[in-house]
Amino acid sequence: MRKRLSALGLIGVAALVLTGCAPAAQETAEPTDTQTGAAEAVDPVTLTMWSWRTEDIDKYNTIFDVYEAANPGVTVEFEAFLNTEYNQLLATGLEGSDGPDLAMVRAYGGVQALIEAGQLMAIDDVVDTGSVEQSLLAAATGRTDGKLYGVPFATQTLQVFYNKRIFDELGLSEPTTWDEFTALNEAIAAGGYTPLALGAKDSWMLPIFHEIVGAARYGGPEFREALLAGTKDFTDPDYVASIQIVNDMTKYMVDDVIGVAYADSQIQFTAETAAQFPGGSFELGSFTEAGLDLGVYLVPTPPNSVSNKPISAGWADGSFAINKKTENEDAAVKLLNWLASPEFGQLFVDEVKQFSAIKGLTYSDPVMNEMNELFASGPTAYINLVDMRYGEPVGSTLIGEGIQSMFLGDMSAAGVATKLQDGIATWFTPGA
Amino acid sequence: MKTKSKSHGAMPVLIGMAFVIPALILFSVFILYPLTTALSYSFFGWKGTLRGDFIGLENYVTIFTKPPFDEALPNAFSHNLFLFAGAMVFQNSIGLLLAVVLHKIGRLKRLFQTMFTLPYLVSPLVVGYLWSLMLSPLFGPVNATLKAIGLEELAHPWLGDPTTAIWAIVFITAWQWIGFPMLLYGAALGGIPEEVSEAAEIDGAGGVKKFRLITLPLLLPALGTVTILTFIGAMEAFPIPYAVGGSTGSPAGATDVMALLFYRTAFESGDVGSIGTSSALAMLLFLFIFGVAVLLRTSLARAERKIYG
Repeated sequence: MRKRLSALGLIGVAALVLTGCAPAAQETAEPTDTQTGAAEAVDPVTLTMWSWRTEDIDKYNTIFDVYEAANPGVTVEFEAFLNTEYNQLLATGLEGSDGPDLAMVRAYGGVQALIEAGQLMAIDDVVDTGSVEQSLLAAATGRTDGKLYGVPFATQTLQVFYNKRIFDELGLSEPTTWDEFTALNEAIAAGGYTPLALGAKDSWMLPIFHEIVGAARYGGPEFREALLAGTKDFTDPDYVASIQIVNDMTKYMVDDVIGVAYADSQIQFTAETAAQFPGGSFELGSFTEAGLDLGVYLVPTPPNSVSNKPISAGWADGSFAINKKTENEDAAVKLLNWLASPEFGQLFVDEVKQFSAIKGLTYSDPVMNEMNELFASGPTAYINLVDMRYGEPVGSTLIGEGIQSMFLGDMSAAGVATKLQDGIATWFTPGA
Repeated sequence: MKTKSKSHGAMPVLIGMAFVIPALILFSVFILYPLTTALSYSFFGWKGTLRGDFIGLENYVTIFTKPPFDEALPNAFSHNLFLFAGAMVFQNSIGLLLAVVLHKIGRLKRLFQTMFTLPYLVSPLVVGYLWSLMLSPLFGPVNATLKAIGLEELAHPWLGDPTTAIWAIVFITAWQWIGFPMLLYGAALGGIPEEVSEAAEIDGAGGVKKFRLITLPLLLPALGTVTILTFIGAMEAFPIPYAVGGSTGSPAGATDVMALLFYRTAFESGDVGSIGTSSALAMLLFLFIFGVAVLLRTSLARAERKIYG
C-alpha cells in the first residue's frame, strides 16, 4: 500500500513540474494587425457570430440575409451553442485563435471576466449607440475602465400577467390604486382561484417578485442613484418596507408557497388555477403558447411609496460584442453599427419576438406593445441583477435566500435587508 | 491481502512497461493533468480567463474567511457529512437487510435484485426532478395521498421546509442507490462458504448470533468498499441536490452541498477571480475525499488482517 502511494505521489510531482512548465499563462491578447484598406468593401468577408440562442438560428439567419443583401460580399455565419455551455465555449474560443468575429455576451457581471481578460474590443469611438436605450448600456460597460464593449440586444421587463378570462368571469379589472389591488386579490381568492402564482422554492424568482410589488415603495431609480452614490444603503427604511410587502403578499398565494417550484407556479397559471403571475417578459412566449388570454399591468404604488407612479424594472439580457482578435475588424465594426440601428431593432422585434434595446420600435403583438409602453412609463433597473452582480456573493442570491428565510419565519424584512447589505458590502464600494 | 504476482519469466520488464503506457497516457491526460492544472490555478489571481500573479494561498484564505464562503462552506460541508451519515444509516443498512433476505429466499432473488437496482439505471438528475414533482405541495401525489387517506396533518411542503428538504435528499439518494450496496453485499454473502455457516450452527449459534459472529465479520471487505464509495458519493453529491434545490440549495441554503457551492463559484459568480477561488474549493474537496478514503482503506486493511490473520 505504502509503496503504491509513494509511486503515485512521484507521478503527481512529475506531472506538477511538467504543467508548471506548460505555457498556461498568457499575456494580454497581442494586438492584431488591423488591415485598413479601401478594398475591404469589395473583398468577400465571412463574419462568424456566436450565440447561445439555439432556438433562434433561423430567425437570425433571416435577419442577416437582409444585411448580406445590402452589403454584397459580406456573409454572416450565425452559430449557436448550448446555452448552459456557452460561457465556457466562448471564453475558450476568445482565448484561442479559432474564436468568432462577433459574439453574444452576457450582461453586466456576466461579461466582466471577458472584458478584464482583454478579449473584447472597446467600441466607444467606432460604434454609434445613439438609438439604444441609454440606461441599458451599463450591461456592456467595463466596470473598471468605464468603456463600452458591446451593443445590448434584448431586454426583459417585470410586470404582473393576468388571465383575462378569469378576470371577466369574476367581473374584475386592472387595479389603479393599492386599495383596488388588495380588493382585487381578495375577490380572486373569494372566487376560488389563487390570486398570485409564485415559485418561492426557486430563490431566483423572489427578487423578481420583490421588484414587481416593491419597486415603487422603495423608489426605483431615485433609490438606485442614492445607493450607487453611497447616500443610502439596503437597510434604508423604505427598502425594508418594500421587502415587508413581499411577506404581506403571501396571504394571496397557496399555502406552503415555499415548497412551490418555479415550474409549478407556471403550471398554476397556465392551468388557470391561479389568476395572476407576477413575472418577467420572458414568460410571454410560453403563456401565449398555452392559449391564455393575457393582460398585463404594473402593481399600483403601495401606501407611503417613495415613487408617485408604478414602476417596471428591466434589464438587458445580453449584448453583441467584437472579438479583439478578429481579423475582420472593419467589417465587424460595420456590422455592429448595424446591430445598433433601428433597422435591425425592428427586424429583431418582428422576427425574434423579444424586446429590443433599441428605442422607438413598434411591436405587432398587442401584449408586447403594452408591456413596452408600461416599461417606458416608469422604467427602473433591476438593481440586484444590474448593479449587484460584480462580485461574490451576488445581490439577487442574497435577497432571494433572505426572502426564503422570511417566508419560513426565520428572518424579518429588516434582517433580509441587512443580509443583503452585509453581503454586497464585501465587494461593493458606493461611489466607485 | 498479500498477493504475490511474480511474473513467470514470460515477459521482460520493459515490454511489460510498454503495455502500461497507453493506460498511463490516458490517466495522465484525463486525470492527472486536469487535477494538477486545477492545483496550479488555485495559487494564482485571475481576471476572467487571464491568469494574474502568483498569490500563494490567498484563494484558500478567501474560501475560509470571506463571505459568502465563510458561511456557505461550513454549511455546505456539514450537509455533505449529513448525506454520508444518512446514507450509511439508511441506504447501507437497508441494503444489507435486503441482501440478507434475498440471499435467504433464493427463489425470486433475480427478480427482486433487478427491481431494486432499476432506479440505479436512471440519471440521478431525472430521479431528482421526478421526486421534486412527487413532493410538490401543489400537484405532488405524496401529499395528495396523505390527504386522501385522512393524514392531512402529515402533508407537508417537503422540499420547502429546511428541516425536511435535506432529509428528502437523503431519501431520494437512498431510493436510487439502494440496489448498489444490496448487490455488493449479496455477492459477498454468496462468497461465504457453507461450511463455515454449518460449523457455526453445529456449535450452537442461532440466527442472530451467527449473523453477528460469522456473517458480519466475513462481510467486512464488502462493508469497507461500500463505506468508501458511499463516502465519495456523498461528498461529491451534485445532480440530486441540484434537481431538488437548484444551484443555491433552496430553501435558504438548506440543501447546499460542496459541489453546488463549487458550481456557483465557478459558473454563476460575478467575481472575475472566480477561477482561482473555485479551483481552491475543488482542490480542498479533492484532498479531503482522497485523504479520508486512504485513511478508511488503511484502517480497513488493518481490521481485515486482524480477522483473516
